[in-house]
Amino acid sequence: MNRILAPLARWAVTLSIVVLAVLVAVRLWRHYETDPWTRDGHVRADVVRVAPDVGGLVTSVAVRDNQFVHKGDLLFVVDQPRYADALNQADASIASARATLEQARRVAKRDLALGDLVATETHEENVAKVATAAAALDAALAARQTASLNVARTAIRASVNGIVTNLDLHPGDYLGAGHQAMAVVDMDSLRIEGYFEETKLRHIHVGDKAKIRLMGDERDLEGHVDSISAGIADDQSKDTANQLREVQPTFSWVRLAQRIPVRIHVDRMPRGTQLIAGRTATVTILQPEQQKPAQPQPQPQPAANTQGPRR
Amino acid sequence: MIGEVSIGGVFLPSLLVLAIAALAIVVLLSRLLALVGAYRLVAYRPLVDVALFLLILGLLASLTTTFGLHP
Repeated sequence: MNRILAPLARWAVTLSIVVLAVLVAVRLWRHYETDPWTRDGHVRADVVRVAPDVGGLVTSVAVRDNQFVHKGDLLFVVDQPRYADALNQADASIASARATLEQARRVAKRDLALGDLVATETHEENVAKVATAAAALDAALAARQTASLNVARTAIRASVNGIVTNLDLHPGDYLGAGHQAMAVVDMDSLRIEGYFEETKLRHIHVGDKAKIRLMGDERDLEGHVDSISAGIADDQSKDTANQLREVQPTFSWVRLAQRIPVRIHVDRMPRGTQLIAGRTATVTILQPEQQKPAQPQPQPQPAANTQGPRR
Repeated sequence: MIGEVSIGGVFLPSLLVLAIAALAIVVLLSRLLALVGAYRLVAYRPLVDVALFLLILGLLASLTTTFGLHP
């Protein structure tokens, strides 16, 4: 009796331990592999590439590296004297055109008073001269407007609220029109982008609450899913020169889930959090059952975050 | 679950760190069990050792989560 029961009991004990272990393993697996979280998240911001519309020597630089600038603040000035000269020249052209026009008008009027003593051809020529001179005056006026626009464009101003970064511009540098002079990180566009495996996407919906932790910072940021990227590049095919598609012939044993950018809007962050574009973040999308107790009320953002993300 | 343990700026998945810890614990535990003679109660010792490893790993993971070492 005991001979049969003892091994049976042993197997029962063994198997129950194993079953328990399998249950724990499944729970761990789900925790780590299917919950929507990623360590591959980054703080992102739009970067404005500031370039002058007119070329020339940099006369003065009004900002320091890493300085916060408001929309409309002066960044730097390009060769103002030269464009001021151009404006003066345009003024002179206007005066010249005006003088020509007046003279043409006077001649026409005089010839008209003489009546039949002047040939019809001369009358016609006079009318044409007045019209040409009037057109030349209009052209000169337009040229002056352009010159005045150029003068205004010699002062380059910030187009967003942001921080000038990696500034390497000095008075005396030469800048061509359209050549990038500095970068301004748009602080209103700061957000977190989490690159989620496509296998986890079905757990992620627009509006879901998210918890963000920056690398090296123990405190959590709160946010929500703002949007999910509409597309990523297809690495299996590309277009060729003759407009035909080149598709990679592959048969992979091991396939990797691709990463889809999910844009997270930061709702609340601890005071003093340094949201620096490019920082690494770990993003967890909270599931509906986790969201209810965790969200009492949207609290006002701390003062340090006034230049926080927009929308 | 967020899992990262920083060792001198190198961030390891906390699961890896927990697994190493669990392995050490299981080695000690299995010695202890052998000493007590508990292995007489089971049919196949290696299977039980693996199961114990998984159980302890699960325990460590849920404990560290509860105590907020990592969320």
